[in-house]
Amino acid sequence: SRRKRARARHKPCALKELEVSVSELGLGYESDETVLFRYCSGTCEAAVRSYDLSLKSMRSKKRIKKEKVRARPCCRPLAYDDDVSFLDAYNRYYTVNELSAKECGCV
Amino acid sequence: SLCSSSLPLPPHPDEILHSLAGPPSPGGQDPHGWRGAVDCVRANELCAAEPGCSSRYRTLRQCLAGRDRNTMLANKECQAALEVLQESPLYDCRCKRGMKKELQCLQIYWSIHLGLAEGEEFYEASPYEPATSRLSDIFRLASIFSGMEPAATSKSNHCLDAAKACNLNDNCKRLRSGYISTCSRELSAAERCSRRKCHKALRQFFDRVPGEYTYRLLFCSCRDQACAERRRQTIVPSCSYEDKEKPNCLDLRSTCRADHLCRSRLADFHTNCQASFHKALSSPAVPPLILLPSPSPHPGAGFDMTPNYVDASTTSITISPNAIQAFGNGTDVNLSPKSPSLAVTLPAKTEQSPLLPDDINDSNTIYDPRIITTCTSLQEHGPKLNKSKEQSLCYSETQLTTDIMPEQKTFVDQKGGSSLHWAGRILPLVPLLLLLLAL
Repeated sequence: SRRKRARARHKPCALKELEVSVSELGLGYESDETVLFRYCSGTCEAAVRSYDLSLKSMRSKKRIKKEKVRARPCCRPLAYDDDVSFLDAYNRYYTVNELSAKECGCV
Repeated sequence: SLCSSSLPLPPHPDEILHSLAGPPSPGGQDPHGWRGAVDCVRANELCAAEPGCSSRYRTLRQCLAGRDRNTMLANKECQAALEVLQESPLYDCRCKRGMKKELQCLQIYWSIHLGLAEGEEFYEASPYEPATSRLSDIFRLASIFSGMEPAATSKSNHCLDAAKACNLNDNCKRLRSGYISTCSRELSAAERCSRRKCHKALRQFFDRVPGEYTYRLLFCSCRDQACAERRRQTIVPSCSYEDKEKPNCLDLRSTCRADHLCRSRLADFHTNCQASFHKALSSPAVPPLILLPSPSPHPGAGFDMTPNYVDASTTSITISPNAIQAFGNGTDVNLSPKSPSLAVTLPAKTEQSPLLPDDINDSNTIYDPRIITTCTSLQEHGPKLNKSKEQSLCYSETQLTTDIMPEQKTFVDQKGGSSLHWAGRILPLVPLLLLLLAL
């Protein structure tokens, strides 16, 4: 079962979804309305390029010292879903854009 | 005379019910003259292919342009054109709601039927196909609403559940967000929103999203005010419904009739609410939900004649086009001095209506025999209404129900035990019925 867990943690980058209340989003809105929150999750091992390997090498050889760099591709939304509108607890409507991922990729 | 005998009548309620309840007729037979009828866009093509028909149609359109019916019929040539066209497919044609070229279809329909109509009628026949085509939607709805029994859901908010169901469906969520963001976008300090764009977005929502989502949002039943306010807010009334001035209901109707789409939806609402209501009550075997098939859950939503809940009351449901408050302000207070408790509240209803079956009293709902009586009674008088009676339709429902209170007993007696059977399922209909009053 440990192997199973390890494998689950190393799934490739993909779109996942959760049903959450608007309040849970933490954006400051107070509403019990439920929305579908889609996010990107997974690893990007297959997407490592020469760029990443070289960057890593430069860093280990101290050619790059103080700057913050990322030598690994990252699982992020490539496109965002349409706007989401909801009614809050004070009967005001709000529309939030780019709340939810539509497509994921290693960038 | 020439026209009155050949007026297109709305389908008889018996026919609607029969066609909904019975199995499909064998061999594609056409028992009501509907299934075989082509849509008006197609009928227009058929007519255009025939020199006789197309020239008469052109003549008739010229006859109708800018003239009233009587002037037109005084002209021999116009009369002849009309007579010929009554034999053509154009005469029987109908339109489908949300069809491609819907507006063009309706224009063709009214181009003939305006010439046939007897001037200012209170009700008009619907240019839309009858309910049968929407049957699947209706039965899906029946299962939704029958799952909403009050016992298990004392704490839940049906309107919130409906919003959740919509948000979890991509199409519903997209179109809901579409109209909400359009309707709540402030243009300037002077202009709260673009009403025209808001109505258009609302129309798209109600046309393109299946009834199982839209009906649920509009007709969710409520136990508390937060829920009822959410229901009232469904169509973003601050933009789509409220207005600085409240126009007269008859003026509003005229405006609606000048618009082919609004006119058609109004006629369709009248046809479907009015025609099948009485009949279904006396045949409890037929699920009352078949009464719903007014093609739009919200017949006027997105038009000048936009109806909505007038307040966030949980127990009395009043729906009216945006004009009603002009009449309702203060007037209805002194209109019912004999029974002030008629401003329907749940406890009052329990005391006043011992004839109600017990379990209806503690349901969370909008069932009220007085309301139903109002509709029936209105139906009886409906077509004969004169101008002053019409005006009173624009007063509040409280006043109307007061007026017809004596009939309540008859109604309940007549129903007897079977009211239990349908009460739970008819609830979602009541707003529609009230809408009829308000119109």
